[in-house]
Amino acid sequence: MCPCGCIGKRKKVSFVEKTLNGGSGLLKQVMFSEDVAAERGLLQRIDPRVKLLSLLGLLVVAALLHNIPMLLVMYAATLGLAAASALSVGFFIKRVWLFIPVFTGIIVLPATLSIVTHGQVVLTLWYWHGQPEGFTAQGLTGAGLVVSRVATSISLVVLLTLTTPWVRLLAALRSLGVPRIFILIIGMAYRYLFLLLQSVTDMYEARKARTVGAARHDAGARRFVTASAGALFGKANQLSDEVHQAMTARGYRGNPRVLYRFRFTATDAGYLFGVVVFAALVLGGDRILGR
Amino acid sequence: MTGSLADDRLLVCEGLNYSYLNRFPALVDVSLEVRRGEKVALLGANGCGKSTLLKVLDGLVFPQDGRYLAFGEPVTENSLEDEQMSMGFRSRVGFVFQNSDAQVFSPTVREEVAFGPLQLAMTTEEAGQRVDDVLDMLGIADLAERAPFQLSGGQKKKVAIATVLVMNPEILLFDEPTATLDPRTQEWLTELLGHLNSAGKTIVLATHDIHVLDRIADRCLVFGEDHRIVTQGPPQDVLAQRDLLLQVNLIHQHTELPAIIARD
Repeated sequence: MCPCGCIGKRKKVSFVEKTLNGGSGLLKQVMFSEDVAAERGLLQRIDPRVKLLSLLGLLVVAALLHNIPMLLVMYAATLGLAAASALSVGFFIKRVWLFIPVFTGIIVLPATLSIVTHGQVVLTLWYWHGQPEGFTAQGLTGAGLVVSRVATSISLVVLLTLTTPWVRLLAALRSLGVPRIFILIIGMAYRYLFLLLQSVTDMYEARKARTVGAARHDAGARRFVTASAGALFGKANQLSDEVHQAMTARGYRGNPRVLYRFRFTATDAGYLFGVVVFAALVLGGDRILGR
Repeated sequence: MTGSLADDRLLVCEGLNYSYLNRFPALVDVSLEVRRGEKVALLGANGCGKSTLLKVLDGLVFPQDGRYLAFGEPVTENSLEDEQMSMGFRSRVGFVFQNSDAQVFSPTVREEVAFGPLQLAMTTEEAGQRVDDVLDMLGIADLAERAPFQLSGGQKKKVAIATVLVMNPEILLFDEPTATLDPRTQEWLTELLGHLNSAGKTIVLATHDIHVLDRIADRCLVFGEDHRIVTQGPPQDVLAQRDLLLQVNLIHQHTELPAIIARD
């Protein structure tokens, strides 16, 4: 409650606040993902290798489909899987569809117009030399196909990442032949991301603690951002030296060995069988419907 | 490694010199011996060379001059290139770093603790069993599936210690083990050091914690700011030399030293 009467005035959030909020937002998101992965839903009980293999298979199936209804069947199945895996369907839909208008919708929009995709104009927007121009049925069908394919594919990936702890996902990738050193580097990068994020948060909080009044977006602010990036680079470099020494101290000689404990159970076999049958049915349905 | 020394000297350093970038000295003419079952404390002001000495003892950095023998064998960059020598040395000497974040690099605690045994060619089953045992022993079995960023400072330190104990080394090197820990965890660690020593482990640690010196060390080596060892002896003898401790900037003139009664 400010006596000057400035209550309710909106001001631009400073880069310091934005960075701090971004850091805590990322942590919240990770904590949420870890919580979801720890639930006792259907997909959480499936071996990550099986999930990864079935995901790859279903992505290929989604790419092969030529009919929107069949893609919608697949999308509906992802919603069913989300519900069976203790995921909030509303959240799941929001998470997937937030990206699609931005990344896919904008890209396919021109293709819906008659100037790009010729065909039967179903919604006239303007006339050119007396000819109606606008959205064509062929363009809209193509765009619908792309958007539904992207939505289904993203849903599948989101399902996998939300229901599998990061470490298990990496281990599954390793067991499917991804080079060990690649997995080790990704795992460490993920782990130290949080440590460096903490360093960034500390630096920005220290800056905030020493700032009187509103933070300005001037040359001084840009210098601070540059200096903090440099300091972070130095810290990361020092940390990488220490980590390598800590690994060497425990016998690391350039060939990391990692602990895996995967078990292929009857549930996994049942899930895999279900996925294969579903893929066959969807592909069969697509063939019956034709192009 | 074949122990060729007839006596019980596990680690022997003679005239070690080490400089960072060949410009900034960290160790100057350092000689010491560590005998089987000893608890040795390295004391000194910040930047005097304690951590560097521990890294030399663990074969992580190599002195520009001088000789270092572990279990009767020279430890050099070349000798550690030999796989058998390296595995033997790494399994017998464990190092707990001051910065636990550097030591806890795997995605989960279980993976982290299993890292050492797996590098030393233990089977996954055996490594898994050892991991479970050591996590139980340290009372952190509930942290097994946690990610390091979800751990507190004290928990990270316990995990870092577990990563070393799981390899069951003969010699344990600790770099300022009680620094940044709360009093409860400090006390836990002090007791653990005592138990490990009673179980036959040889312990070398760098510390500033002079108030528990008599419990964590049988012998102290004091570094001067010139990176040389200026004195050594039992904790009560070292703490009796107040002027020397002031001179090496380990204590302030207002620091109250603990009254340590000489043990038999």
